Amino acid sequence: MFIGTDRLTHTYMPGTPYAKKALDNVSFEIKQGGFALVIGRSGSGKSTLIQHLNGLLKPTSGRVFFDGHDLGQKGNELLKIRRKIGLVFQMPEELFFSETIFDEIAFAPRNLGLEETEVQTRVIEALEEVGMEAEQFIDRHPFQLSAGQKRMVALAAVLSLRPEVLILDEPTAGLDHSGQKILFKLLASLNKKKNMTFIICTHHLDQVAALADQVLVLQEGRLVMDGFPQKIFGRRSQLIKMGLSPPVTAEIMADLAERGLDVRSDIFNLEDARAEINRLRRHRVK
Amino acid sequence: MSRSITLGQYYPGKSLIHRLNPRAKILSLVMVLILLFSLHTYEALLAQLAVALLLIWNTRVPFRYFLRGLRPILYIALFAIIIYFFFTSGGVVLLRIGFITVESHGVQQGIFIILRLITLVLFSLLLTLTTTPLALTHGIGYFLKPLRYVGLPTEEIAMIMAIALRFIPTLMEESQRLMRAQVSRGADFETGSIFRRAKSLVPLIVPLFVSAFRRADDLALAMEARGYQVGAVRTRMYEDTIMPLDWTVLLVVIAMVAVAWILGL
Ligand SMILES: Nc1ncnc2c1ncn2[C@@H]1O[C@H](COP(=O)(O)OP(=O)(O)O)[C@@H](O)[C@H]1O
Ligand SMILES: [Mg+2]
Repeated sequence: MFIGTDRLTHTYMPGTPYAKKALDNVSFEIKQGGFALVIGRSGSGKSTLIQHLNGLLKPTSGRVFFDGHDLGQKGNELLKIRRKIGLVFQMPEELFFSETIFDEIAFAPRNLGLEETEVQTRVIEALEEVGMEAEQFIDRHPFQLSAGQKRMVALAAVLSLRPEVLILDEPTAGLDHSGQKILFKLLASLNKKKNMTFIICTHHLDQVAALADQVLVLQEGRLVMDGFPQKIFGRRSQLIKMGLSPPVTAEIMADLAERGLDVRSDIFNLEDARAEINRLRRHRVK
Repeated sequence: MSRSITLGQYYPGKSLIHRLNPRAKILSLVMVLILLFSLHTYEALLAQLAVALLLIWNTRVPFRYFLRGLRPILYIALFAIIIYFFFTSGGVVLLRIGFITVESHGVQQGIFIILRLITLVLFSLLLTLTTTPLALTHGIGYFLKPLRYVGLPTEEIAMIMAIALRFIPTLMEESQRLMRAQVSRGADFETGSIFRRAKSLVPLIVPLFVSAFRRADDLALAMEARGYQVGAVRTRMYEDTIMPLDWTVLLVVIAMVAVAWILGL
């Protein structure tokens, strides 16, 4: 088991009239190098779940695993493990506090106690990983950047830890369409190039659905679906009933099938959809 | 939303006390507190304590919430015991340790003081545990109103209190979120010298201020967009009217005070 949970339950403010069971008996596993999506409507427990995955929240009951360790049983070692699991919070640019982009990204490696030369290497590396030219940016104030650039710097600020797993909570919230596209492209390449494991909570399924090899669906704290994207997005009506919107491409395919066309229904990314529609058209012409 | 009202001690419920108008509750509490301070017989004090316990039972708020509220006065109680037991003379000597004696008057007075303190806190908790902070501020704001005639901007003070109450939980939640987020970037808020720890708060305080100012800005804009004006007379969405029930309770309290005074208790 690389990373996952076993019967994880979390109750906020237990023993008060406000007690809230945010996670209920959640068990799953994500493989090394995997790309998992966590979906569910807001309040379903996505953020609560991922904060357990790097030990920021403690389970009320159940366990969290990473690379053979039980996160609950680690005292000091939790710190070491946590460094391998980078967590990018929702709206991460709200965490900025430094006067330069360099210092912002250097925060994490400095906390690791690294030498300043090593810190510098990592900052430059991280900036380049997110596609930003180091020289041009390191001395600028983080607040001078555009929304998309800020998000990239926030991402770099976690990449500088050189994590094995990267967890992102609604990474596209507040970004425009092109910003989303750039971000997902970047995540895909990091996933391939570095065999980094990804876990992403998101509402914007259209662009990310094609990257995923696993989808987890949360509903009111319970894990109601877990499987390959084809399988999950195929259950359109169920997703819609849960208040989730399947990828637009899946909707289009379903719509075509409803009109009596012979199309595959397990398509949820743009390339496959295009290929399938072209196939149909050729078929028609003949 | 439920999270944003956990500030203060409000415990939701539908009991008689919960439903009372906050103004009636505040006024009753003030009268009861005055009464408690003027009592000097055990019988009257125990009667008051009994009333408090009866009301507590009526609210259906678990008793441990009241116990928790009593915890802060533990030290005061201890202090009172020491002062009264050991340094008040008169009556029968109960205990002698070296040259220190514990005499019966002291014990009597000490216990009386502590019981009075407990009753006092229980009544206060009856108010704060059954009233939302917002209702409480509105209630207090009402009684501040006469101060407008000496030039105090009471409407605005009430508004400031209400806004502060609204945003303290939000900011607390925000700081918690920020703290977790910075911890996931390797921040350490717990170990090190005081100087180091103070420095480690920078990544917390800067974003907190940034977001607080942004929120304040948004709120000011939203309020202006809805026609908020300093000095204007405001009406409220939920007018809390004084019901017959409130009058009844007030009359009962007044009667209680009157009886106590007439009997000279
Ligand atoms: N710090 C907290 N205290 C109390 N309740 C919380 C807290 N954080 C989240 N919750 C509650 O837990 C549930 C799940 O929240 P969350 O994990 O943030 O959901 P999501 O990220 O899917 O929107 C929600 O009902 C939310 O109100
Ligand atoms: Mg969330």
